[in-house]
Amino acid sequence: MAHDTHHHKESFITKYLFSQDHKMIAKQYLLTAIFMGAIGITLSALFRMKLGWPDERFPLLESILGSDAAPDGLLDSNWYLGLVTLHGTIMVFFVLTGGLSGTFSNLLIPLQVGARDMASGLLNMIAYWLFFLSSVLMAASLFIETGPAMAGWTVYPPLSVLAEFQPGSGLGMTLWLLSMTVFIASSLIGGINYIVTILNLRTKGMTMTRLPLTIWAFFITAILGVLSFPVLLSAAVLLLMDRGFGTSFYMSDIVTSSGALDATGGSPILYEHLFWFLGHPEVYIILLPALGMTSEIISTCSRKPIFGYRAMIGSMLAIGFLSFIVWGHHMFLTGMNPFLGGVFTFTTLLIAIPSAVKAFNYITTIWKGNVIMTPAMLFCIGSVSTFISGGLTGIILADSALDISQHDTYFVVGHFHIVMGMTAILGMFAGIYHWFPKMYGKSMNKRMGMVHFWITIVCGYGVFLPMHFLGEGGLPRRYYENTNFPMFDHFLDLNIMISIFASVGVIAQVIFFFNFFYSIFRGPKSSQNPWNANSLEWTTPVEHVHGNWIGEIPTVHRWPYDYSKPGKDTDFVPQHIPLDDNEEEH
Amino acid sequence: MEIKFIIIITVALFFIALVQLMKIYDLAAKVRGEKSQEKVSRSENMLMANLMLVFMVVFFGFVIWLISKYGSNSGLYTSATIHGRDIDELLMFNWWIILPVFFITNTLLFGFSWKYYHREERTALYYPHNNKLEAVWTIVPAIVLAFIVIYGLMTWNKIMYNQEKGEIVEVYGYQFGWIVRYSGVDNTLGKADYKMVSATNPLGVITESTIKDTYLEIDQRVNDIDSILSNNINGDGEYLLPESKVDKLQEELDRHKRRKYRIEASIDRKENNVNVYESSNDDIIVQEIHLVKDQPYTFKFRSKDVIHCPWFPHFRAQINAVPGMETSFALTPTITTAEMRADPDVQKHWENINVIHNERKRRIGEEEERVLFDYVLMCNKICGAGHSNMQLKVIVETQEEFNNWIENNGDNKRLTFSGQEVSWSKTKEQASL
Ligand code: HEM
Ligand SMILES: [Cu+2]
Ligand SMILES: [Cu+2]
Repeated sequence: MAHDTHHHKESFITKYLFSQDHKMIAKQYLLTAIFMGAIGITLSALFRMKLGWPDERFPLLESILGSDAAPDGLLDSNWYLGLVTLHGTIMVFFVLTGGLSGTFSNLLIPLQVGARDMASGLLNMIAYWLFFLSSVLMAASLFIETGPAMAGWTVYPPLSVLAEFQPGSGLGMTLWLLSMTVFIASSLIGGINYIVTILNLRTKGMTMTRLPLTIWAFFITAILGVLSFPVLLSAAVLLLMDRGFGTSFYMSDIVTSSGALDATGGSPILYEHLFWFLGHPEVYIILLPALGMTSEIISTCSRKPIFGYRAMIGSMLAIGFLSFIVWGHHMFLTGMNPFLGGVFTFTTLLIAIPSAVKAFNYITTIWKGNVIMTPAMLFCIGSVSTFISGGLTGIILADSALDISQHDTYFVVGHFHIVMGMTAILGMFAGIYHWFPKMYGKSMNKRMGMVHFWITIVCGYGVFLPMHFLGEGGLPRRYYENTNFPMFDHFLDLNIMISIFASVGVIAQVIFFFNFFYSIFRGPKSSQNPWNANSLEWTTPVEHVHGNWIGEIPTVHRWPYDYSKPGKDTDFVPQHIPLDDNEEEH
Repeated sequence: MEIKFIIIITVALFFIALVQLMKIYDLAAKVRGEKSQEKVSRSENMLMANLMLVFMVVFFGFVIWLISKYGSNSGLYTSATIHGRDIDELLMFNWWIILPVFFITNTLLFGFSWKYYHREERTALYYPHNNKLEAVWTIVPAIVLAFIVIYGLMTWNKIMYNQEKGEIVEVYGYQFGWIVRYSGVDNTLGKADYKMVSATNPLGVITESTIKDTYLEIDQRVNDIDSILSNNINGDGEYLLPESKVDKLQEELDRHKRRKYRIEASIDRKENNVNVYESSNDDIIVQEIHLVKDQPYTFKFRSKDVIHCPWFPHFRAQINAVPGMETSFALTPTITTAEMRADPDVQKHWENINVIHNERKRRIGEEEERVLFDYVLMCNKICGAGHSNMQLKVIVETQEEFNNWIENNGDNKRLTFSGQEVSWSKTKEQASL
């Protein structure tokens, strides 16, 4: 895709709206994700109010959500589930899948592999606009009278099939399915583009083993997505047919208030298999980009090569592969054959090995480093911490025998928020702070970044650590209120504490929003290579140009992690600098 | 409206304040001669490094506080079943591995971040890899995990392949509650089918009389609809009702006819083989689960509408109830409700719960009450608006107490399908027939 490097005249529309330039598309993804993220976390703060103060009326809720959802300020129980469902869906798919991969794969793949743009700019643009459309559809479902989808982000049938079971399974669920269908199309188009670009458009000298770990992470992520999203699509299509065309793929032996339904022979368990065949890889689709970016940033900011580069690639490949054969750990208690349960326990616990390797490699990278505490680096340290803490509790949930007493309790909620939610969100923030200069040519305010980090990590752990103990006490998740069981009364104060941490954590994100938007317009101009990093993106001019480099694309001569290499004048040697005579590569 | 206004004003003020702060900050930075937001100063590096250490201490303190306050089971106390104790032991085994690793790795992470913060005069060590080291932290976790897997699978298999024949009890989930059916002296549940479910036959049990009742009910409804339709038709064969209403009625009519046909074709054995229904004769439907201490039980679960998940937290037992299939879980309760209530730890805990419970009752203006420890069954799979209140009391008691309950509970008797008085003075030997 040889773009000419001269500037052609562009209208507002081709430059900002229907741009085919990967850098602009990355920014569009980011803005959409930030917008959806704001909705997602606000929802969580809202429904946490019900859990923290079960008897209080909040007129605020009524004015935000309307009187269907919170009559007289008391959140309706159907709507509670609706908010939880949309919160989960938005966070998982829109912020941490579409948003995270969309932003950073787009921004960094061409820049770091040394390409003028994505393999197909047009497809890239289409992928973004499909993502945008699906975001709008999903957000719109919050405004319909019967509420959004309410069956949990996993939308298990039969609950999600009939509006009689819950109002959200009517129009809300239809919108959910439409939105997700469009979303999946976007993911697939995007993913194929990333894969092709990485395989085909690397600059001279950029062998696979000289790729930054970010690129490896995006690469494996895209492969996971391309292999697993189609399965979700088929699950969604079958669900649509059950809902609209009287099929019974997922339904059998069901009695509603108007009598026995005709459906026979289907099984909701089939849906669960299809869903989790995507659902588990999805966890790594969320995690890997964050882990890739933290690898890059930790190395750069520690002024030290990433420890065990090949082991990092190997462990990501292993995680990617294993993630396809563990989905059954979400289904231990569906009545599946106990032998199968045992197999899934085994494969799931295998993932702990490459994960452990990654964690130790991060720590060793920091060891004897020279750690510059940029906001991005702070977020990375936080992200490694949550990856470790959350990964460890995963060992418990992977154990089918222990799952009998932990499944679907708040222990699970605590676990996945720490390992997936926090690790990925912190990683995403790290990426934003680190590559903001590359995106906007400006710097973000570092002090605000630091404050933002500390409040976020404190509140994050403050919210999700205690949830493990709620779960150990037997408290099920997706409960509108815990007050129906006196045995949970002693959690009243803990729930208040969690809700306070949650509100503070959510409100503190205003610091970030402000810093972000203020810096776009008023931030100081950044330098070309603000973090003294080695990878190719920092050799491009600060001002964006089509084709990324004015003149030749640099040739690559070394891996991207030559930090503090002995015998060099500077503590970094960018990838395009040739090796000295008799210099060993690494 | 007012509130919206206040919110907007507050947010606006907040932003204005932030903008002002930023300006002051920019100004101060200029005065101090700082040029960029990109270079982190030495003092900032040091501050962040020290905060890492402070954070680590607070973080660990928080975890230790939570553990000491809530322990490993947060108020559930000893498991009241045999397999539950195996699970708890396995859980403790896992915690003893996980917690040290948690503390050590986090200490290394935050400790190194603190110790090696950036100073101009230092240089980082160029240390790209060390195969030996990497082999160590591949192999050591692998070995530890092998223990976890083996111990875990042994426990899992022991629980799931439990061959002990227990007394069969059915739990049927619906939006939003549970119905319980004891299998009676023959320890066999009478056959049931969702097509038979009706107001008078909530579980859809198949007997000669329920089949008759179902036909009756269906015919009644079919007649009703027929007469509505025929009464609202004019000379030209046009309906006087709105079209949508007619469609609805006709759709319902068809559904009833199909249902009847399917019952006739697949369920109704006519007179040929009446004794297939016999096992339901001594089945008893109740609204509370009573279990006898040390008696093995095999629970069978079905669901009427959506997926539910019967969850007995004190028994460490749960399994999904899925429409269209039957699941089961075997357990043996070992502690009676009375024994549990007499346990000093449990008593202390419930004193505390009473205080909190009644504080809340006072606050919301409800009558105070004394709450006691009870085993419960609740739902643990999202199932709709009433998901958080699908509770059923579970009572574990001695054999005498159980006999007493089942004999003297008139309601229960009325619900047996034979319509006969059934004697429930069952002994363990009978149950294991
Ligand atoms: C301010 C931060 C957040 C708070 C306070 C929060 C809180 C919660 C709570 C209380 C629930 C309900 C749990 C239940 O009843 O099952 C929930 C569900 C969920 N959250 Fe978050 N969360 C936050 C951020 C995130 C992030 C960053 C993610 C990204 C992965 C995430 C993903 C989910 C998912 C997938 C669910 C499950 C939804 C469902 O049950 O259908 N959350 N969250
Ligand atoms: Cu999984
Ligand atoms: Cu339920």
